[in-house]
Amino acid sequence: MKLDTSGLESTAPHFGTSCELFSGFSAAPSFDLPVTTDFDGFQKESIQMVKPAKGTTTLAFIFKEGVIVAADSRASMGGYISSQSVKKIIEINPYMLGTMAGGAADCQFWHRNLGIKCRLHELANKRRISVTGASKLLANILYSYRGMGLSVGTMIAGWDETGPGLYYVDSEGGRLKGTRFSVGSGSPYAYGVLDSGYLISYNTCIRYKYDLSVEEAAELAKRSIYHATFRDGASGGVASVYHVGPNGWKKLSGDDVGELYYQYNPVSTSTVEQEMAESSST
Amino acid sequence: MTKQNANWSPYDNNGGTCVAIAGADYCVIAADTRMSTGYSILTRDYSKICKLADKCVMASSGFQADVKALQKQLAARHLIYQHQHNKQVSCPAMAQLLSNTLYYKRFFPYYSFNVLGGLDNEGKGCVYTYDAVGSYERVGYSSQGSGSTLIMPFLDNQLKSPSPLLLPAQDAVTPLSESEAVDLVKTCFASATERDIYTGDKLEIVVLNKEGLHREYMELRKD
Amino acid sequence: MAADMGGSYGSTLRYKTVDRLKPVGKHSLLGASGEISDFQEILRYLDELILYDNMWDDGNSLGPKEVHNYLTRVMYNRRNKFDPLWNSLVLGGVKKGQKYLGMVSMIGVNFEDNHVATGFGNHLARPILRDEWHENLSFEDGVKLLEKCMRVLLYRDRSAVNKLQIAKITEEGVTISQPYSLKTFWGFSAFENPTVGAEGSW
Repeated sequence: MKLDTSGLESTAPHFGTSCELFSGFSAAPSFDLPVTTDFDGFQKESIQMVKPAKGTTTLAFIFKEGVIVAADSRASMGGYISSQSVKKIIEINPYMLGTMAGGAADCQFWHRNLGIKCRLHELANKRRISVTGASKLLANILYSYRGMGLSVGTMIAGWDETGPGLYYVDSEGGRLKGTRFSVGSGSPYAYGVLDSGYLISYNTCIRYKYDLSVEEAAELAKRSIYHATFRDGASGGVASVYHVGPNGWKKLSGDDVGELYYQYNPVSTSTVEQEMAESSST
Repeated sequence: MTKQNANWSPYDNNGGTCVAIAGADYCVIAADTRMSTGYSILTRDYSKICKLADKCVMASSGFQADVKALQKQLAARHLIYQHQHNKQVSCPAMAQLLSNTLYYKRFFPYYSFNVLGGLDNEGKGCVYTYDAVGSYERVGYSSQGSGSTLIMPFLDNQLKSPSPLLLPAQDAVTPLSESEAVDLVKTCFASATERDIYTGDKLEIVVLNKEGLHREYMELRKD
Repeated sequence: MAADMGGSYGSTLRYKTVDRLKPVGKHSLLGASGEISDFQEILRYLDELILYDNMWDDGNSLGPKEVHNYLTRVMYNRRNKFDPLWNSLVLGGVKKGQKYLGMVSMIGVNFEDNHVATGFGNHLARPILRDEWHENLSFEDGVKLLEKCMRVLLYRDRSAVNKLQIAKITEEGVTISQPYSLKTFWGFSAFENPTVGAEGSW
């Protein structure tokens, strides 16, 4: 007689069960689905309980010298800031970056997954995957989970054999090619700055155009993020700026937006204070 | 078999608070030992801290049954790792394994809030903090669970370290000595116990350093 | 010293002879509240488990810790299937001088403690147990303490019935008492005319 262990059986179907001892442990387990009639309702409820809804500002644009990618670093659950140091720019490989908006775990996990797939492509074909190909891999995966509650809004930016590439991919299955994107709750503010630019003197304005220098582009991205964090409560923390060129990505800057405020709004002493300082020194 | 499908939830919140602080050559992981459901306390002596490897300790709060299942899963994976590689798994590797394990239950999540503390390959203290579906981040200190909203701002105030995202990079390691960190953790929990009904009874502190693992306890309010 | 005993329990209104305390193997005692049919299913699982264990005939047998862990997994896996066993279980036992007492809930929450209770017992009996329990409780005092708890539950839990059993488990084995009633006194002033002075919101 054999012990009836049906009461102990897991509902998760396993694959890669060549060795009985390791089955379901050494191989990657498949996704466990709740056995419920109301899947959507259950998803909604459980997501409410556990997921940090992320307010975010991320942006990326193509210009003469490559692609600039920038993001804030705040994660919040309702009104509570659960982290001020999230890495929203994910380094997929030395030539490709992904950005993170929506569910933190969804973005992180699927970008990690994409990184694996890109490396496998590289090993199989002896050449790096194109940005077009990588973004399509991600978009296809996300589309296959459509309607199951994933929440991802990402930009895939990189440099491949055709030059700079930039795609927007989301969990609804959308995939767009473009030269300039901003994603997240702070995106309207970021777009505003990106499109209209900022004055460096009374008649010179740096705004988005194709032939910006790297320095100008980085400053434009930083300012866009800064202004978005200034007006959007759900964005904040550190404004990180990356540049992807022919030799791969490089992090250009990471600045606490709290300190950027004083950089952009230098404290000038009022005339009264100045006089007081002068009179005391004399 | 037909069953009256009355109102029941597959989840329960058993409360509890976890804190972890990383130092230059040590790591402090702490959690209270109260387990509750609703307004009643189930037991005053339930350890939320689980040793996953020699230099890797996890503290978890949330739904106890899920936490237990998670701990068992990780223990099994670690046992297999030891059989295959004849060594202990490193803390950063365990951190990513935990993230993946949590995400594999993305559509029926483990209701558990974890912090993972340990020593990395260079012997530096490391802390990883998670959400319930597996997004994670390496930080200098963290708090999870019912009292986290009370403790986290206090830790920010006491040991706000420069963000790891800053460029030029600044050293993000907590400047505290080991004994100072342990004292800080004790203060945190004494304060959280005053205002969080799910925190109390006893505090369990695990200190990891090059000498190994060391445990100590402190009594907390029991009301 | 007598071993700790598990199980505070009541009995349903419909059936007055439901055994909620059952021995499991040589070293364990199981108490349950909740669905009787689900409890009987659990007993079937356990019978099979013990039988399978006996078949090895290696002089080993499952102790209370092992049985409790098994129950934990059964309950948790059933909740994962969205078809829970509607019970709260208490498992006590003694093996090789080691005393053990733990409980499992419907959705798999489980723990060990020096005293446990299910259902209403958590609210009414455990405060008493926390006050009066101590390491060196004699068997007689243990019974008295349990009876005190059961009496409180009888007064305040409307689904409880004045008919109970007490079980004891020691190294020698399980003894379950015959059902008996507690002496009650309903003449407390608090019980007399409880609505006096309660004006209500009308």
